[in-house]
Amino acid sequence: MSDNVIIKTENLCKFYGEKIHALENVNVEIKKGEVVVVIGPSGSGKSTFLRSLNMIEPATSGKVIFDGVDIMSAKVNINLHRQRMGMVFQHFNLFPHMTILRNMTIAPMKLLKQSKAEAETKAMELLKRVGLDDRAGAYPSQLSGGQKQRVAIVRALCMNPDVMLFDEPTSALDPEMVGEVLSVMKQLAEEGMTMVVVTHEMGFAKEVSNRILFMDEGKILEDGSPEQIFNNPQNERTKDFLRKVL
Amino acid sequence: MSLKEQFILNFVEDDRWKYLTNGLLNTLTITVFALLLGVVIGIVVAMIRTTYDKTKDSLKKRNKIGYSFFFIVNSICKIYLTVIRGTPVVVQLLIAYFIIFAFSNDGIMVASIAFGINSGAYVAEILRGGIMSIDVGQFEASNSLGFNYVQTMIYVIIPQVIKTVLPTLLNEMIALIKETSIAGYVGIVDLTKGGDIIRGRTFSAFMPLLAVAAIYLVIVSFLTFVLGRVERRLRKSER
Repeated sequence: MSDNVIIKTENLCKFYGEKIHALENVNVEIKKGEVVVVIGPSGSGKSTFLRSLNMIEPATSGKVIFDGVDIMSAKVNINLHRQRMGMVFQHFNLFPHMTILRNMTIAPMKLLKQSKAEAETKAMELLKRVGLDDRAGAYPSQLSGGQKQRVAIVRALCMNPDVMLFDEPTSALDPEMVGEVLSVMKQLAEEGMTMVVVTHEMGFAKEVSNRILFMDEGKILEDGSPEQIFNNPQNERTKDFLRKVL
Repeated sequence: MSLKEQFILNFVEDDRWKYLTNGLLNTLTITVFALLLGVVIGIVVAMIRTTYDKTKDSLKKRNKIGYSFFFIVNSICKIYLTVIRGTPVVVQLLIAYFIIFAFSNDGIMVASIAFGINSGAYVAEILRGGIMSIDVGQFEASNSLGFNYVQTMIYVIIPQVIKTVLPTLLNEMIALIKETSIAGYVGIVDLTKGGDIIRGRTFSAFMPLLAVAAIYLVIVSFLTFVLGRVERRLRKSER
C-alpha cells in the first residue's frame, strides 16, 4: 500500500438479512487529494458505501483501512478516527438547539480541547469564506436550505478533517440553492481536500472530480476518470444509466 | 343551617381547618418526594432502555459479556415498566405499605416511595419517547464529528429531549398531585382524607369536600399556568 492512499476498502460487504446484499466485495483505494464522485441508480449501494467509510452504518464484513488502520476492528476507538473524517448529510443535520457558531465550535472545543476563542476565530473565518459570517448568531431554523448545507460543510471543516464525505449534499435542496453549495464544494476540491461525494449532479462530477465510481447492485462496475466514464463508458449498465441521466 | 353557620361548624370550630392545612402539607410532601424519585428512576430507566436499543447490535459483536449484562439490566427495566403500568396505583400503594414496608410506620415515606416508583415508570416512557423522537440524523451528525454515545446524549440529544418532553413531564406532575389523594387508604391524612375527616365529624359533606376540590383546583391551575409559560418560552428559543 502506497503512502498516499488514505482510505482503502477490502472485500467490503453489507447484508440486510440473508438475501439483500447492499454491498458486495467492494475494493477501492482512495488517494490523498482525490475528489471521487460515486454515481449510480438509486438503491445501488452508493450511500451505503459512503456511510460505511466512517462506520455511521458499519458494513457486515471486510476491512476499511483509514490511514493505515483497519477501523472495522473491534479494538479501534472509532470516534477518534471519525474526528478526521468530516461528513455532510443530505438533510444537513445541524443541531437545532444551538446557534450556527455553537454548531461549529462544540466539537473542536469538546473533542480537540480548543479554547472558545480559538474555535470561534476558526469558525468565523470559515463562515466568512462561505459568506455566512453575518448569520453566526442565528439558529438553523432561520436559514435557507442552501445556507444550512454550507454551514454543515464548514461545521465538518472545523475539525480539520483529512477526508470529507458527502452523502447527496444537494438532493434535499431547492434547485436555485444547489449552485451555492456546489461552489463551496468546488472551492474545497481546489484547495486539495480529499473528497468522496455521492451525488446526482453530473455537471459537478464532470467538472470537479478527478475520478468517478459507477455503482450498481452493491458493486463498483466502473472506475475511471470523468472523461473515460462520460465519453467512453465500457459497462453496459453505465451506458444505460448515463443515457437516462444526461 | 346558613352558609355562615356551616362554614363555622366545618372549619372554625375545634380548629377543623387544620385538617385541611396539615393534609395539604402531607399531599405536597408526598408529591415533591415522589416526583424527585420518579424523575431519577425515569432518567435511569430511559437511558438504559434507549442505550440498549441503540447499541445492542454493535455491542453484541464487540463485547459478549457486556452485552449479556446489559441484556439482563434492560429486561429488569422492561419488567418494572410492565408491572407498574399494568397494575392500579392503589394496589401498589397497599402492597408497599402492608407487605414491602410492613416494618415501617412512616406512612408519608412509604407513600412517597410508592408514588415515586409508580411515577418513575411513566417518566421513563415519556423520556424514552422523547429520545426516540429525535431524528436519527442528529445521532449520525454528532457521531460523524467524533462524539461518542454519552457525549452525543449530553450535548446533542438531551437538550432537545428536554424541550420536547417538559410539557408532558409537567402534565405527569399534575396527574401525580391528584393521584396522591388515595393516600388515605394507608392511613395518611392527606388533603382528601383531611376533608373527609371533617365530614365525618360534622356530618356535613358540602363545605369540606368542596373546599378540598377547590384547593386541588387552585394548585393544578397554578401548575397549568406555569406549564403554559414554559411552553411559550421553549417555542421562542426555536426562532
